[in-house]
Amino acid sequence: MRIAFEEMKADRLLTARTEHGNVAPVLLARGDEPGELRTDVPYQMANILLRVVPYLGSDKIAVVARRCDEKAIAEMSKRGLLDSGKISLIGLACDAEQVSECRCSDPCPSKVHIGECVKASPTDKVVEDLLAKSISERLEFWTAQFRKCNKCFGCTSNCPVCFCDECLLEEKTFTPEKGIPPGFAFHLIRSIHLADKCVECGECERACPADIPLLALRKMVNRDVKELFGFVSGDGETTSPLLTTLDGDSMEGDNDVC
Amino acid sequence: MTVRIGVFICHCGHNIASTVDVEDVVEYAKGLPGVVYSGRNLYSCSQEGLTSIKESIKNNELDRVVVAACTPRTHEPVFRRACEQVGINKYLFEFVNIREHCSWIHTKEKEEATKKAKKLVAMGVAKVALLEPQEEGESDVVPKAVVIGAGLSGLSAAAALLNQGIETHIVEKEATVGGILRDIAVIGPDDVDAQELIRSLTETVEKSPKAHLHLSSKVTELKGFIGNFELTIEGGGKEETVQAGAVIVATGGVEHRPEGEYGFGELKGVITQLELEKILGSGELGARRIVIINCVGSRQPGREYCSRVCCNASLKNAVRVLDTDPDASVTIVHRDIMSCGTVAEELYREASDRGVRFVRYGLDQRPEVSSEGEQLVVEVFDETLDEKIDLESDLVVLATPIVSPGDSSETSKLLKVPRDKHGFFLEAHVKLRPVEFATDGVFVCGSARWPVSARECIWQGQAAAAKASIPISEGKVVIEAITAVVDPEKCAACGNCVISCPYDAIEIVDTESGRAARVSEAQCKGCGTCVAACHNDAIQQKGFSSRQLGAMIDALIRATAEVSR
Amino acid sequence: MTEFKPDILAFCCNWCSYAGADLAGVNRLQMPTNVNVVRVMCSASVKPEYVIKALSQGIDGVLVLGCHIGDCHYMTGNHRTAKRIPLTAKVLEKVGIDSRRVKLDWVSAAEGDKFQQVITEFVEEIKGLGPNPLREVRF
Repeated sequence: MRIAFEEMKADRLLTARTEHGNVAPVLLARGDEPGELRTDVPYQMANILLRVVPYLGSDKIAVVARRCDEKAIAEMSKRGLLDSGKISLIGLACDAEQVSECRCSDPCPSKVHIGECVKASPTDKVVEDLLAKSISERLEFWTAQFRKCNKCFGCTSNCPVCFCDECLLEEKTFTPEKGIPPGFAFHLIRSIHLADKCVECGECERACPADIPLLALRKMVNRDVKELFGFVSGDGETTSPLLTTLDGDSMEGDNDVC
Repeated sequence: MTVRIGVFICHCGHNIASTVDVEDVVEYAKGLPGVVYSGRNLYSCSQEGLTSIKESIKNNELDRVVVAACTPRTHEPVFRRACEQVGINKYLFEFVNIREHCSWIHTKEKEEATKKAKKLVAMGVAKVALLEPQEEGESDVVPKAVVIGAGLSGLSAAAALLNQGIETHIVEKEATVGGILRDIAVIGPDDVDAQELIRSLTETVEKSPKAHLHLSSKVTELKGFIGNFELTIEGGGKEETVQAGAVIVATGGVEHRPEGEYGFGELKGVITQLELEKILGSGELGARRIVIINCVGSRQPGREYCSRVCCNASLKNAVRVLDTDPDASVTIVHRDIMSCGTVAEELYREASDRGVRFVRYGLDQRPEVSSEGEQLVVEVFDETLDEKIDLESDLVVLATPIVSPGDSSETSKLLKVPRDKHGFFLEAHVKLRPVEFATDGVFVCGSARWPVSARECIWQGQAAAAKASIPISEGKVVIEAITAVVDPEKCAACGNCVISCPYDAIEIVDTESGRAARVSEAQCKGCGTCVAACHNDAIQQKGFSSRQLGAMIDALIRATAEVSR
Repeated sequence: MTEFKPDILAFCCNWCSYAGADLAGVNRLQMPTNVNVVRVMCSASVKPEYVIKALSQGIDGVLVLGCHIGDCHYMTGNHRTAKRIPLTAKVLEKVGIDSRRVKLDWVSAAEGDKFQQVITEFVEEIKGLGPNPLREVRF
């Protein structure tokens, strides 16, 4: 990690280390005492990065990034919310145990500096089981799940690609006034919002105190988006199909003439 | 905030009242949240109806109004005006359609139609309660115009603008003006000298100190909005930026080249109508037996339209051939002769009287052209004789349609104006706004829009000029207040709206609350595409906010429960 | 048991489908009473949130009608509709709401008869599906 950091000529390093006997994210400046650096705990560095960037000024930052961090950073950079020119990635390949714990299908960063890539299953048992259910069983299942939601917003605040300061789900426009549980629409609206950017990091599901299988929902919607538009979140180039014309044109900067 | 809503249910004579129980709906509306007055009118839009609405607004100190009657598409301005006359902002008015969308389509279901009318009124009341007063913006107009294309329609438009004293830039991609007319000597059906027409229009342009003719040039960029366009004109290796209040698209059409059809491009002596025009103009005809085939490449699958000018051109050219050589034989092989109007009809009779032969063919049995030595043979199934005949000829003329020029898609993207499936530009409304685009301040005329005759080019050019001169002479444009507006406090500057806006009207800027989207009011057309792209409701369309539409959904659910009780 | 009367919400764009609905009215084309129209300027302004909200709160079906592709008053507004609404239907299907409860179609200002047909067929379809199960679900 140190070698990669040196090579990247960054001013800061975002990683995790042991703090007071626990693991915590840390932002190191050049020359800081690194302490006991840790890569064995899946912190969503992209999410933390978004929060520290406003305080960095012109400093360049290196981030220890797993594949999901990398994709989230790409999604945010594409939207102009991060400046990819100032960010270097120290690619961290997750180990088999981590991959299986995250039910990750895409664990290998585009450039690996730490660890070795392991194979991942493209399918997810939880998703397969849910899709095997009949429509009425699904409704029964998800109604029960959504009823558990206590609207803590853990899923939104831990999401690396959820970027709004104020969430419209905090208002009563689309969800009933009564409050908790927030009704059937809450997690579906979130699904639509994440449809063109979710990187399947699983933070929402990990954060959920009610154990709602949100990662499975994300994976199912991502699959729909891929089927409908051939679009997969996580690259820094492709404009979201939900924003473009049927020819894939956006009004901005696209002078392609047919 | 307490609101004082007035609801007015219209009988529309029997139109609504014979199906919907108006009295019942009036009573129901009285119980809706915020309603302090509910009444009915025999004809709300009549002078009497409007007076009574205004009286009720005053007497009951109403601050918002719902009229349940016909369609806002025709009558909204009437009621908005009435509201304004008694001091209610016209954007605090909501129209509920219980005629077209209820009584007329449910004539036999009185009970259900009445229930539906109640629901629709409840939805309207829910929306009006949340409406906000709006101010219509005003914007200055640059007193200049740009005409793209210097064919007959473009020149006509430019001349009309210049005659009104409006500074006009004319941008022509070719090195000379005139367009298609350059190849034509005489315009039918009434024998107008084409070159003289071009000459006189060009003279008007050249004499005017306010004209700027850009030849061998094209517009490469258009920014801005009605009243304040900024165009980049590129030509002769130079780039010029021009400000304009209005833009007229007169890019015209081109003659379809029917490569490979009827021996065109393969057999000597098979030419297009425009090539015949040139030959006739030169006075060196040579050929004595001439067959003109109409509808080549038009009125068939893939290009279904009638090009409208070819029949008259064929008739005119047939007569001109006979003028040049009275002993020549001319046959017009056609599918139908469309020579509408008295002058053209006269021309048809003349051609017929002077011996031009008309042979009708069908789409399933098209003529075939082959060569036998020096001469051409057109084999055609004559529908009248019910048999095949051979027409020997020296010259076969293919009357092909006017098609959209290859670069019209480029123009369309540049100006952000729509085209139809054939590549012609699409006007805002075929009857009500025929020379305007839906984009304010951009106009269209001539064959850019649809194949038209020379006469129509002049009319449309002048019409477009007249329309374009309205904002220029008024000096101000009013912007309807249904535009999108950003709450910079909420905006996360993700750019979803920027990408999805069909008008490029949104940009991300630095604001007091950090980076946020900003809508250029004058560029915004109020479609709301950005609104649906925004994740946290930071961008809203005035008069169609998500709170207002959300309230309508809630009201529908509530009303359904109430009326089915 | 009382007859099931579906309650349907339709979003119609001002320029094409609302005008098409008006034309259906002018021509007195008869159709079921179950559909309640909300006028929007463009079908592209219909937030997926509206569709989700309506179905989550028990509306039996949601129709989104716009101009035909290529005829949009706002040029390419409806291109976005053509992507958002089908995705919304698929998301709903994942959690147990039949995607047939969401329908996107194009009705031009000249297609009063098509408006009648779309409404009639959609009402029939929803009748076949039965009431939205979320009508009875209380959170």
